[in-house]
Amino acid sequence: MHFSEESRISAHHNYLVNGRMTQGFVLGEPDSGDRFFFLADVVLPAESTPRISARLYGPEGNLLCEVQWNRLGRNPGRCTYRSLEGGFRILDEAGSVVLEVMTEKFPRGYLSGISGRLFDEEGRLRLEPLGDNSRIPGEPPRFLTRPYGGF
Amino acid sequence: MGEQPGRVWVFGDYRNYFQNRVTLQLIGKAKELAQEIGTGVTVLVVGERVRQYAMEYVAHGADAVMVAEHPDLSEYRVETYTALVAEWVETYGPEILLAGATAFGRSFFPRLAKRLRTGLSADCVDLHIDPETKLLVQTTPAWGGELLAEVITPHHRPQMATVHPGVFEERPHDPEATGGIFYPEVKIRKEERIRVLRRRTRRSRKIRLEEAEVVVVGGRGLGSKAQFEMLEELAELLDGEVGATRPAIRAGWTEEERLLGQTGKSVRPKTLISVGTSGALQYTAGILGAGTIIAINRDPHAPIFKISDLGVVGDAKSVLPILLEELRKRL
Repeated sequence: MHFSEESRISAHHNYLVNGRMTQGFVLGEPDSGDRFFFLADVVLPAESTPRISARLYGPEGNLLCEVQWNRLGRNPGRCTYRSLEGGFRILDEAGSVVLEVMTEKFPRGYLSGISGRLFDEEGRLRLEPLGDNSRIPGEPPRFLTRPYGGF
Repeated sequence: MGEQPGRVWVFGDYRNYFQNRVTLQLIGKAKELAQEIGTGVTVLVVGERVRQYAMEYVAHGADAVMVAEHPDLSEYRVETYTALVAEWVETYGPEILLAGATAFGRSFFPRLAKRLRTGLSADCVDLHIDPETKLLVQTTPAWGGELLAEVITPHHRPQMATVHPGVFEERPHDPEATGGIFYPEVKIRKEERIRVLRRRTRRSRKIRLEEAEVVVVGGRGLGSKAQFEMLEELAELLDGEVGATRPAIRAGWTEEERLLGQTGKSVRPKTLISVGTSGALQYTAGILGAGTIIAINRDPHAPIFKISDLGVVGDAKSVLPILLEELRKRL
């Protein structure tokens, strides 16, 4: 028997990914400038919403859009942002869900589930749906122990 | 594999308010114990959707949580839980393993101790680390509650104990706290002899003894159900709850849920009024956390006076009506 995974969780807010809780994680390189990344940043107790930033590509490796702290940024793929009760959804030009982030409120804390199909600039699958959260194929994400901050 | 979980373990019993509270109280005590032996506190969180509890335990001081989520763990089942936790214990070797003396804890922990071939002190009223041996000293009522025994487990591990709700204080909720999370492999054995066919919840009036700021307790010395009913009025006037000793329960003057002491509940009210109770250890073990204890008993040598802050030597039948009359005038 072994510990299949370990990270740190927060008493206030966590993300659910790979069926596990974590206070924050990052995929790819947020500082690279033009490559895929997905950042679920640590949420501080004063805030009640997740902090999602990302550079998202389509299955052909075409840049779809950028997300900066839950808002659409650069958007060459003409994606649509849809606000939902408890979260948000990003759709591609054809109306298919690229990314969905939904936050469950507990009496004294929050848990954000992330789902979607995310690809990098080479068209490799980096995140896919798994129940109420998502699975990260291949290399596990880097778990965060403090806010990632600017990039 | 990186960091290991701390070696003082607490079983997370979260199924209702009081079970959850006793876990939080145990985490508070476990932090002190862990510090004494240079380790951390790990809380075991077992069930189907237990994520919020894992967060809650971290907020109350757990250094780490060990989580097992599986649909087959949705019900408390002693056989399944024993097999699962025994395997974790055998693999990771905690020094200390604690649980609340709740209905489930009292059923689960003896089986787990047997499986692990170690000792278990049930219904402890205190825990501390011996400064020289670093062993866990488990204080528990013994010989029918006539004395308090200090039990140690020098040769077997883990050192296991169950503790009444209300004995220890919980640490405040800290939203800035963080803790490690571990997901050991979950192996579910299917050879269970118990099958849950359906669940039925018994409805009852809510008795909040553990939360009450004022508790009025009646014992054998009250002499009758009519006298005991005066306590109910007294508690109502003081916005409190009524507790009872075993003889009062046996006499049928009130319900079992109001039992205080070794085999009942432990309370920590600001004020506790003990009427017609001798002060036997099996009862007083459940009220040691009370702020001010006021005792009414006609026997001036009754042991209850040794732990009370204010004593009234008199027959409850005479004292209670006067007390009630005075309170009715003032409130």
